[in-house]
Amino acid sequence: MRVLVVEDEKKTASFIRKALQAEGFAVDVCHRGDEALTAAATSSFDGIVLDIMLPERDGLSVLRQLRDRQNRTPVLLLSARGAVNERVEGLNAGADDYLPKPFVIAELVARVRALGRRGSESKSTMLRVADLTLDTVAHRAERGGKHFDLTAREFRLLEFLMRSAGRICGRMSIIEKVWDYDFDPGTNLVDVYVKRLREKIDEGFEPKLLHTVRGVGYVLKE
Amino acid sequence: MKIRTRLTIWYAAILIISLIIIGIGTYEQIIEQMELRHLSHLWENALSETSESVVWVGVPAVLLGLLGGWWITRRALGPVTALTEAVERTNDANLHERLPRTGNGDELDRLTEVFNDMTSRLDSSFQRIREFTLHASHELKTPLTVMRGELETALREGDFPAVQRDMLLSQLDEIERLAKIVDGLTLLAKADSGQIKLKFEPVRLEELVRESVADAKILAQPQAIQVNCSECRDVIISGDRHRLRQLLLNLTDNAIKYNQPRGTVNISLSRQNGFAELKIENTGAGLAPEMQPRVFERFFRGDSSHSSLIEGCGLGLSIARWIVLAHHGSIQFVSEPGKLTIVTVKVPVGAVN
Repeated sequence: MRVLVVEDEKKTASFIRKALQAEGFAVDVCHRGDEALTAAATSSFDGIVLDIMLPERDGLSVLRQLRDRQNRTPVLLLSARGAVNERVEGLNAGADDYLPKPFVIAELVARVRALGRRGSESKSTMLRVADLTLDTVAHRAERGGKHFDLTAREFRLLEFLMRSAGRICGRMSIIEKVWDYDFDPGTNLVDVYVKRLREKIDEGFEPKLLHTVRGVGYVLKE
Repeated sequence: MKIRTRLTIWYAAILIISLIIIGIGTYEQIIEQMELRHLSHLWENALSETSESVVWVGVPAVLLGLLGGWWITRRALGPVTALTEAVERTNDANLHERLPRTGNGDELDRLTEVFNDMTSRLDSSFQRIREFTLHASHELKTPLTVMRGELETALREGDFPAVQRDMLLSQLDEIERLAKIVDGLTLLAKADSGQIKLKFEPVRLEELVRESVADAKILAQPQAIQVNCSECRDVIISGDRHRLRQLLLNLTDNAIKYNQPRGTVNISLSRQNGFAELKIENTGAGLAPEMQPRVFERFFRGDSSHSSLIEGCGLGLSIARWIVLAHHGSIQFVSEPGKLTIVTVKVPVGAVN
């Protein structure tokens, strides 16, 4: 997979490149918006990691220009925390995913890999990981024939984790996508909720599905 | 007593004394004249004539003088009053504004000029501090992201003995903590320099309160703290939903963190004279009265050994205060050590601006 990374902070850019290369991606880096447009016009990429905050031509304008030129390369936006409006604008302008800064690098890599699978990942209403199933229409969660009572929040958390099954989810992106908080809550809210959820879905079952990646976040996988 | 009143009184006293001196002088003149003409048996007449002239001429003259004096002091001191009011309005948020000068070069104009010079110097040093904080927090972000990412990668790929692994993981936790502090600082620095625009819309505050009560109940479980919501009236305010949720989570989280095991947190939302009043009470150790005014200061920490064990960036209440002020409200912290600590937030109801 070939990826274009557009990030003006040189150190951050090179560190993203190293991480992606270590995972077997071919990586091109540019630091400015107009360079990104030229690069995207001359070669073909499987994904673009695009920082919103760029000098002169910003990420959103690059994205709009790309889509105007009928370039459908999947785009992962990197946005500063606290910039909800930008993010909504970004998704409207045709971004495929976003990641708040500062991000967990493992999550960035996982999201970039998922970019390639876009399209095939449907908005299915029946989610399944091992023998755990979640019906997002009937609001039912079951494992091994046993039904769980989940609060609305626990349900959203489980849905998010199941939709990103196998991928590491950083605390900040859980906070953003499950709580819709655009700030660091400064609490262990996520950990407490995950602990409760784990008691419900993992206790008394094998194998354990909900794993902690210490210092980083959580992952739901077999 | 105002200078104006004092000057008027002195002026009146001087006028009256001079009137008396004139009266006595006139009287003695008349007596002397009469004695020269051997008319001293008519001294009673002289007395009544003197008092007559004093009453009919002197008193109106004194009254006129008083009125004039009052008018002059008023005119002279008017600019002082205006200046005082203008200085009173000056605070850290409007330091860039200059007081209007008369330009006539008198003492007051000079005073205004000196005051303006002073505020402009203050303004630029405030500005420098703000810019410094903003740049510093921005500059700290990148190295933190890089450090964090590299540690993460090392931990994932490297094969470390357990002891070293623990050390690296604890470093990762500290980096996380540092990143939180930098985040909070950036937010406040941006808020100070007016770079954060709130998105005002009608918000059902009771919904946000219920939501944060639900979160608080779960956050409080590990320490067996009981969270109650004694009242939750329907109140619509004009506000920024995200920031209000941040405020609520911030305050309830504090009420739990600084509580004691098996303590209580009570949250209430009521309506009082056009204000939504949110009260968050907790049964924690509280704070000594002399420390309470400083509780909203950045990085303020109470002195108790308990508080140093509590994780947090030390900016939570400063951020809470900023959010409340941005909603044209007020926030108050009252604590009776060992009994009850109450944080009260008041935000005006309705009225979109």
